Order: sequence, then C-alpha cells, then structure tokens
Amino acid sequence: MDDRSFAAAQDFLLSAKTFWSTTMYQALRDKHAAAKKTASGDAGEPVAAIAHALEDTTQYQFYSWLERHLQRMKYVGRYGLVPYHHERRDELLATFDQSIDADNAVQIDGSLTLPAYYTGVDIHQHPGGVWSDDVAGMIYERGARTTTPLVGVAEKDVHERFTDLALGERTPAKILDMGCGFGKSTQPFVRRLPDSSVDAVDLSAPCLRLAAYGTRESQASNVRFRQMNACNTDYDDGTFDLVTSTMVLHELPPKTIEELLGEAFRVLSPGGRMVHLDFYCLPDAFRRFVHYGHARRNNEPYMQPLAELDLSALVASKGFVDVEIKPFQESDHIDLNANDAWRFPWTVIAATKPSEAAQ
Amino acid sequence: MKQGSKSPRSEQQFFDDPAIDRIMGAFMALATEHYVLLDRVRAMERELVNAGTLNRGSLGREPDEVERAETSADRTAFIEALMRPLLGEQEALGAAGKFSLK
Ligand SMILES: C[S@@+](CC[C@H](N)C(=O)[O-])C[C@H]1O[C@@H](n2cnc3c(N)ncnc32)[C@H](O)[C@@H]1O
Repeated sequence: MDDRSFAAAQDFLLSAKTFWSTTMYQALRDKHAAAKKTASGDAGEPVAAIAHALEDTTQYQFYSWLERHLQRMKYVGRYGLVPYHHERRDELLATFDQSIDADNAVQIDGSLTLPAYYTGVDIHQHPGGVWSDDVAGMIYERGARTTTPLVGVAEKDVHERFTDLALGERTPAKILDMGCGFGKSTQPFVRRLPDSSVDAVDLSAPCLRLAAYGTRESQASNVRFRQMNACNTDYDDGTFDLVTSTMVLHELPPKTIEELLGEAFRVLSPGGRMVHLDFYCLPDAFRRFVHYGHARRNNEPYMQPLAELDLSALVASKGFVDVEIKPFQESDHIDLNANDAWRFPWTVIAATKPSEAAQ
Repeated sequence: MKQGSKSPRSEQQFFDDPAIDRIMGAFMALATEHYVLLDRVRAMERELVNAGTLNRGSLGREPDEVERAETSADRTAFIEALMRPLLGEQEALGAAGKFSLK
C-alpha cells in the first residue's frame, strides 16, 4: 500500500468515527431519553436498566458494531496501521539506527518481567499490544494522532492542558512521569521546565526508544526514559517533587493501581504532589453505560473496575492528603455540561504527600 | 491479511444474527476501498490538469445526449447485473427452493 492509499483509508475511517461520535451518539442519547420517559422513575437508574432498554435496539447494535470495528479497521485489514508499518519495518527502524539503546536518554532493561495483566490483552485493540513488536511504538504514536477526533490540531492538546494544570504555579525540580508511552505526556514537562530534571518510566521498550528518539530530535538533555515497572521503581524514597501519569491508571487492575499509588507516595518528597490524568468521573448512568460499553468493545478490561473504585478513599489510604478528583476539560471548545458527543470521562486525580512537619 | 490474537477467539457479536456482523465487515471494507479509489482518481485528475493533459471543466460537464446514448447500454448491463439477483431466479437448471440435506 502506498502512503496516499493509507492516508485516504485512515481519513475515511476517522470521518466515519466522527459521524459515529456525534450523530450516532446523539441518536443513542435521544433513544435513551425517550425510553426513560416511558419507564417509571429514573432516579439512580443503573447501567443494567439502560442495557435492558437499549441493547436490543438496532440503533445501539450499529453504534456498538461501529465502535468496535472502526477501531479494528484502524489497526488491521488492508489499510491498517499494522500492515502499513510492517511493510516499512526496515526503513522505519533504520531511522533509529543501532545507537539508540546507547543513548543517554534511554535505558532498556531486557530482563524486566512484564506483568500478566499487560501481556494478557491487546489493549485498545492494538494487535500484540504496545510492547511486543519493534514498530509497536510507531504504530501507537501514529494511531494516537486520531484518538480524539473532535479535538482540532490547532488547539492546545490534552497533554499541554494537563501539564498547565499539573504544574500550576509550581516549578518542581524533579519530576517522574509514570507510564510515559512514547513520551507524549513527558515532553510538555521537559519543554516547560528546562532547568528541572524529568524521569519517565514505561514497560514498553519500543515506546521508550521512540520517546528517546524524539528527545534526540528536540535536543533536550533534562529527560531520561527508563524501562521499569511504575509500581516498583529503583528510585530512593523522597526523590521527586511531582509524580504524574497520563492515561495509565485505567490500564491497571485495581490491585496494581494501589501498588502504583503506594510507589508514588514512596518516591515523592514530603510536600510533593501527585497528579494523574485518567477516566473516572461519570456524571450520569447513561454515560456510565456508554463508558463500560466502550471498555468492553475496545479491549480495556480495567476501565470499568477503575470507574467503580472508591479512588478518593484508596488515595487517602496510602497516606496522601488534599485529595482532589475533578472532571478535566480536554479541549477549549468542550462544554463539560453538554452531552452532544462521545468523549472520554477525563478526570484529574491529585493529592499531596504530607510535609515532614505534618507527618 | 490475518493479524491479531494467536488464540482463535470468536469476535464479539452485536446484531441478533451474526451474519449481519460479518456482512457489515465486508461492507465497511468495500466502502473503504471505494473511498481509496475515489481519492486516487481525484489525485490523478489533479496531476493531469496540472500537466495540461486534462481540462477539468470539460471532464466535469454534464454529458450531452450523444455521450449518454453511447454509455446507455453499459448502464443497463450494470443495473441488470446488480438487480437481477433480487428476483431469486435460477440461472442453471437444478434443484430449487430452500436448501437442506436434513
Ligand atoms: C495509554 S498509554 C499512555 C502513554 C502516555 N502517558 C501518554 O499520555 O501518551 C499507557 C502506557 O502505560 C504503560 N504501562 C502500563 N502498565 C505500566 C506499568 N505497570 N509500569 C509502567 N508503565 C506501564 C503502557 O506501556 C503504555 O505506554
């Protein structure tokens, strides 16, 4: 397949996804509203009741089919990201050359054991996951450009907006980005705070290599990407002033979330802040129903358990104070009170490790 | 091209009849292919116009009666091929009706 055919097919799929996430989503929302009117009482309507009302409707069946299969077609099939990158494998890997593993900005740990929750599912329908193939990082990077179809390219993206919020007025000297992927969540911190040092860890070697390559291009020297389990790092207690993660918690089973929070607490200095961006606050049962359905259809088995967790209590149980869990506006034109398009339930989860005096 | 899970799990089913799930897959693959083709034709036109080989105005104008008459037989044949199967008629003499070896 040549680049034009690939781009045309991917553009086609993205347009189809945009129609799905607006027009088809609105139709489903209206169908639910109409069904609710005829049902007796809607206070505390549970997800199962909505499933009963909607699952057998043709509307919901097409909605569901498209949600799963537009994503599948993005990856596989004749014009998918996977065959596109496989056809170009040698050429793509050559851009890295052999020296990337020797680069100061990256540290690969060939002996790291990947957890079973990680290898047991092809997350968001990426065949083989984001870790098993040398070009998996590039596939992930290319695919991530169109994860949120309604966010325009000219706007400040999710990561930039989140960095604004995570930093606020602070200038932390040492930052840890847990589950950094190919560095998209790390780069804004690196750019914004050239005098701070940023460490970023992830399980995926192909993603880390891509992150390091990006750093080579931007010539930043204040960042290191290291292959490590975020729940079990080799940092000393109290190393960081800010620990952050973006879109990582929902990929972890509840027990692993607890471990990650414990590790964040350990490596934070007293008074240090932890700020995560993930999917959590669901304003009503309909959006919960939509979110759980998305999780199932998109191969995200831990999305629902996270949404059902008492996160505030869990964070506090690790010793954190000032726990804040708030909906996050991912782009300028998103109205958090509207419900006219499919969107992730973006949420910021923040807390502080008590200062020495308070401990 | 088959990719993905090594374990042969069955795909999720959304419609009451799984045949619809599968036919939708074929339908969307064709729609994608169609769009890729459309995109290529447009790109070709652009190249030809830029090279001065093609006049976009004359390509895009409504065909006159002479041209319509020339293409009419082809149109009829296309419609015949497309719609004849809707009648459910047998083409070659043999057993008829709903198939069963029960
Ligand atoms: C959805 S991606 C987000 C990547 C990045 N933070 C971003 O915003 O682009 C989730 C990442 O978490 C990583 N991950 C999952 N479990 C992890 C763990 N226990 N330790 C470190 N990274 C992990 C995955 O490899 C993946 O790169």
